[in-house]
Amino acid sequence: MPYYIIVIGAVATLGIYSILYRENAVFRLFEHIFIGLGAGYGFYFTITSVLDPQWWTPMVKEGKWYWVVAMLVGAMFYLIYNRRLVWMSRLVMVALMGLFAGLTFKGFITAYVPWILASFKPIVLARKPYIHITNLLSFVTLISVMSYFFFSVEQRARVLRGSAQLGRWMAMVAFGAIFGSAVMGRMSLFIDRVAFLLFDFLRLAK
Amino acid sequence: MTPEAPPAQDTRDARARYTIFAVLWVTVLATLLWRPATTLAPSPPTRSLYDAIEAIPREKLVIISASWDVGTRGENGPQTAAIIEHLFRTGHKFAIFGWVAPPGPLLVEMIARDLARKYHKRYGVDWVNWGFKTGTDAMIMGLAKNIPAIIRQDMHGTPITKLPAMKGVKDHRDVGMVIEITGSGTLLSWIQFWQGVYGTNIGYCPTGVMVPDAFPFLDAKQIRGLLKGLAGAAEYENLLRTHGDASVRMTAQSASHLVIILLIILGNIAFFRRGKRQA
Repeated sequence: MPYYIIVIGAVATLGIYSILYRENAVFRLFEHIFIGLGAGYGFYFTITSVLDPQWWTPMVKEGKWYWVVAMLVGAMFYLIYNRRLVWMSRLVMVALMGLFAGLTFKGFITAYVPWILASFKPIVLARKPYIHITNLLSFVTLISVMSYFFFSVEQRARVLRGSAQLGRWMAMVAFGAIFGSAVMGRMSLFIDRVAFLLFDFLRLAK
Repeated sequence: MTPEAPPAQDTRDARARYTIFAVLWVTVLATLLWRPATTLAPSPPTRSLYDAIEAIPREKLVIISASWDVGTRGENGPQTAAIIEHLFRTGHKFAIFGWVAPPGPLLVEMIARDLARKYHKRYGVDWVNWGFKTGTDAMIMGLAKNIPAIIRQDMHGTPITKLPAMKGVKDHRDVGMVIEITGSGTLLSWIQFWQGVYGTNIGYCPTGVMVPDAFPFLDAKQIRGLLKGLAGAAEYENLLRTHGDASVRMTAQSASHLVIILLIILGNIAFFRRGKRQA
């Protein structure tokens, strides 16, 4: 990669990190450049990688004239702005909703049913007659967290109340784990930028 | 008129914030420059992914689903490098494929080209780049049934029928594994339309923040293995007996975690002491 591009990247990185001090004009400048670049790249990419090779070229250069239907169907979305023809936009929207509802329904069976099956685990192992601690923990967590989200009856019974309380604690532990992972992830991204500044921009030996 | 001076509490908070930022910057800079050796013992999900790749028949193609862009390069980049290094070593052919993040295939190709030079692998023969394809779930479903119909040409405009690496690749039966490297919730599509329907092996490399959500898939054996963010990439490098970017950065990561834990403890002590004084 040419060095001047790395220099631009380093200046942009430092400009964006200037927010750590306070809101300032340099940060805003680079923020707006980033947004503009993103929008411009999206526009360029849509034309060169989607519309041209997947629609225009087959329709115009490969004689697949029927691709013109895609444009007509796509254009129907914009009839939402026409009071008289708004029903045509609803046709495509309804078709799209039906398509995605069907996909989601099919996907639910294949994605989540195995989760339910995997939750059935032996607590006492038949061959080695001892309690399987991790399976027991998994079972207790599953039942207690589910009881926390059980709102069909008022949680007055002592057992249900205790189980829901335990479920709440278990959920808190899970949220802590998720937050810890989030911190880890964000630090990784920060370390990547610092590594870029040190090894690519300042060219310190790796 | 003179501007109103900020309250003393605000100034103290700002000073504390600057101190925290400065300490983290110094910690990361120092550990990246000092580079003490870090080797992470591979966790079972990482080892499981390694073993699953080793077990793929050599004639099968591996799809590297590049669902990330520059925003998550810090985590997904080292993961991608570790996986590609392994595939080059084992001699599996692979295809880079993007369907969520448009810059993904280009970023992965940059990594693959660097490693291809090291292992003397040739584009088109040992690996290909299908580029970015639109159509999301519907396209993923179609891909399982007819790969050449969906991927008519590679990222550089070459018809895939002319690429030796794609010889005999027709549908999901010719794919040994799909490795989803991602910074967003994209795994479900492969689970729903490939693994759940055809039983295709799925490897998963998410960013750290997505890791807790991935365990149910691992538990239900819907994915064969998992790289947990940057730490997963460093563990994988350990399995490959190489010392790449992930291993170097994990030292900085561990040091910064120690600093954060220390700051949390100090913050709590300060909070309770202040509470006592106010009481």
